[in-house]
Amino acid sequence: METEATRSLLPLAAFLLPLAGAVLTLPLRKISARVRDITLLALTALCASVAVWLAAHVAGGEVYETYLLQLTPDIWMYLRVDALGALFGATVAVLWMLALVYSWGYMAEGHRLGRYYSFFMLSLAWTMGVAYSGNLLTFLIFYELFSILTYPLVVHEQTPEAMAAGTKYIIYILVGGSLVLLAIVLTYFAAGDQTLTTGGILSADIGQQRLFAIFWCYIAGFGVKAALVPLHGWVPDAHPAAPAPFSAVLSGVMVAAGSFGIMRVLFQVFGVELLREMGVMSMVTILAGFTVLFAAVLAVNQDNLKRRLAYSTISQMAYVVLGVSLLGSDSTIGAIIHVTNHAFMKGGLFLCAGLFIRRLGVHRVSQLDGAAKRMPVTAAGFAIAALGMIGTPPLSGFVSKWYLGLGMLETGNPLLLVVLLGGALLAAIYLLPIVYRMYFREPVLTADDKVTTEGREAPASMLVPLVIVTLLTIALGLGASLPGMPVSLARMAAETFFH
Amino acid sequence: MTPWPPLLALLIVVPLTGAVITPVVGRTRAVRSADWSLGVMLATSVIALVLVVQVARVGPFSYVVGGWVAPYGIELRFDEFGAVIAVICLLGTLAMVFSRRYAAQAMAEQRIPYYYALLLLNLTGMIGFAVTGDLFNLFVFMEILSLSGYALVAVSGEKIAEMAAFKYLVMGAISSLVILLAIGILYALTGSLNMADVTGRLAGAPAAPLAVAFGALTLGFMVKAAAFPLHIWLPDAHAIAPSPVSAILSGLVVKVGIIGMLRVYQIAYGSGAVDMRALNHVLMWLGALSIVMGAFFAVFQDDIKMMLAYSTISNIGYIIMGLGLASSYGMIGASVHVFNHAIIKATLFLGAGALIFQTGKRTLTDLAGVGHAMPWTVAAISVGAISIVGIPPTAGFVCKWYIALGAVQAGHPFFAFALVFGALFIFIYYIRMVNAFYFRQPRDPAILEVTEAPASMLVPVLILASLCLIMGVMGSLPLSFIEPAVQRLLLPLGGG
Repeated sequence: METEATRSLLPLAAFLLPLAGAVLTLPLRKISARVRDITLLALTALCASVAVWLAAHVAGGEVYETYLLQLTPDIWMYLRVDALGALFGATVAVLWMLALVYSWGYMAEGHRLGRYYSFFMLSLAWTMGVAYSGNLLTFLIFYELFSILTYPLVVHEQTPEAMAAGTKYIIYILVGGSLVLLAIVLTYFAAGDQTLTTGGILSADIGQQRLFAIFWCYIAGFGVKAALVPLHGWVPDAHPAAPAPFSAVLSGVMVAAGSFGIMRVLFQVFGVELLREMGVMSMVTILAGFTVLFAAVLAVNQDNLKRRLAYSTISQMAYVVLGVSLLGSDSTIGAIIHVTNHAFMKGGLFLCAGLFIRRLGVHRVSQLDGAAKRMPVTAAGFAIAALGMIGTPPLSGFVSKWYLGLGMLETGNPLLLVVLLGGALLAAIYLLPIVYRMYFREPVLTADDKVTTEGREAPASMLVPLVIVTLLTIALGLGASLPGMPVSLARMAAETFFH
Repeated sequence: MTPWPPLLALLIVVPLTGAVITPVVGRTRAVRSADWSLGVMLATSVIALVLVVQVARVGPFSYVVGGWVAPYGIELRFDEFGAVIAVICLLGTLAMVFSRRYAAQAMAEQRIPYYYALLLLNLTGMIGFAVTGDLFNLFVFMEILSLSGYALVAVSGEKIAEMAAFKYLVMGAISSLVILLAIGILYALTGSLNMADVTGRLAGAPAAPLAVAFGALTLGFMVKAAAFPLHIWLPDAHAIAPSPVSAILSGLVVKVGIIGMLRVYQIAYGSGAVDMRALNHVLMWLGALSIVMGAFFAVFQDDIKMMLAYSTISNIGYIIMGLGLASSYGMIGASVHVFNHAIIKATLFLGAGALIFQTGKRTLTDLAGVGHAMPWTVAAISVGAISIVGIPPTAGFVCKWYIALGAVQAGHPFFAFALVFGALFIFIYYIRMVNAFYFRQPRDPAILEVTEAPASMLVPVLILASLCLIMGVMGSLPLSFIEPAVQRLLLPLGGG
């Protein structure tokens, strides 16, 4: 996009507000837990409004930028809000705000809440930074920070399983981060630190071998975060171990940050033409297609609900990479909006999983029989999100898959529709039985449940976020074609990539 | 012209006289020696600051002692690499503050004045080493700092301390001899000891003795810098020494080998008579090996100071690799890491010292859960850990980034790979440390009752921890400061 960027402090504000929250968490607790909760909510709500405002204005054709700091004599830390980043930023901020509200109820009896809230806010700040990064080094900084400083959240429960999951998480993520660093070093050396705008900054002159090295370092590095098989090992362990609200953002937007990184790099570092020339994308397509099916098959076998959802995330996020790898504009639109749509659907599913854990003490799918009678709102939320995940019209999941399908035809890969539909079918196989169990099976009562089979629904503070994500799932589906919706932003982004 | 000449001389004279007088000041009351040496360090810091600002404004300058013009008299020469005195003074001052409570606990009262005297002497040696323009004085200052270093390791009086100090002394003495031999050869070849003069006269010197001289210098300085496998003296010495001393030894004293190497390069590249390519190649591999092996050994340590000591070997590996790459990015990264690593490692060692002081425990197993009892100290240590691993945007990252770029620039992308993945290894043991402090169940619940370290320990640690962040975020400042020196150094190679 050759639009002149407007200097603005708003991107900086979107990043500083949660940062301030992280710093204030501990002193505010000294006043009271309530003051802390309200302040943090106010800050995240502000951050979300800023992010949504930016997204709305970017959809109107603006681009915003902020120069932060001079890191080295030739590199600035630089924020730039374009269509891709604005959409991701808004998704991140909104989902995070909802997860924060949900945390009040979920974490009520938790330990070390100061640490939890502090790092929860920090992660939001860094992720906003990832969304708005305007050059590779800035991207790297935020990406590494949010990867590593979420470690305390993964191991928050401090159980042996959580510690083991944390170790796995950090090793995977660090290997990925190192590959990204290496790729960025090579890129910087080949092309300098240019603003991520359009077309790509690398050229074929640097030699085929080096180009391929850079390419695979990026794909493997971000692939760890985006959970491409076989780099997905940390996902199924980290999700069940982490607190539910954090699982929601972990699955919803943090895994997506890997896919987001892949998009940034493919379209804005390499550029479509160079990628076509290199002819490597078919390998990525195969990798992503395999991931879609493989992870979905694994999901079917999981009895632990959060683990099943984690595998579902791996499968769904591979759709994004699959869409991007086709290098078609429709499939790219599908990929970009799927990040947003998936964030709210999967966020919703994890919020439900957390409610089942907290209200029913249930971790496993097989224990969910009859849950709908006892928690009708939660079960309804779960059912809607599950249907969206499968791709049922008119929910949001359908829209992204529609565009992905269009893209597959547009780029002449009708065979890939098998993957698309196969993934959806498998999603039905691993999600619908849960819905069936909740609605059509009689509850199995444990000793302390004998008195009543009902009245276990969660408090309002936990239901409200769930209701909102569910409404978003519906609204993003029904209103997909309205201006200002994710599709229009995604279309803008795709137009700049494929001008 | 030599602007403000007396300052350069005072920079050495002030701490040297201060050191000599310290035992006298502290004769009646030991605590006076602490005040006195702190005052001396503060005065020296002011001088250092003025000089650093001066060199940033006008470039290198020199002072001839007693007005005897070089090459006949003694020349003190101050360039951008010499600006390391700023960090020497900073760490020296903070170590003095930190020692007030620490020394009182760690050693007998009658020893305390001598402890401060040795510390001052050690710092003087380093300052002198950094600013001298004369090979023989280089050796003299090196011996001042080495001898005081051996004594400082032994000062705690523990049983193993003597052994560690002895091991350090043997290796130190051998390396000093090797360096002296090289200086002797250079003198025989050129008839001069002034570095600038030697550089000018080396052209046309016979190749064989030159090769021996530069090989010997490199070998000697690599022992001082504790490059793997010449590191065997380091872990014990650094782990056993009192914590403020460990901070100085690990943060600064090993850097003497690096500054020495920079001087060697100045002579070698400046004269154009020596082909450093083979040596550089050795250094690159030595660096890569040090990174990986230092990290490898550190993973198996349970003693927190032992772990930090091995981590120094890894970090020296970064620097050595950066030097060996001989590309401008690599050199700049290596030079800046001399400063940054000093700050980071001092954060870690002083923080560890505070933990040991408060809890009396020094293994990760015993220290589990201490993060809840001493939140500030452990937070500072965590910041240090994050910086030393090179997570952006901390001080460690700037150097990692530059040295990795340097590797690509020099046409050795493999070394960038080794660097980045060596850093990963390093992270593994720091994550163990953070896990133990915050997330593991305490072995002994009593550790949760421990109180935060006293202000005289906490404040230096916090200052250093914030510097770890500031040096990262303001990374361009040191980078652009050192750049002219590196460009000058690499100019004979065609601009690097």
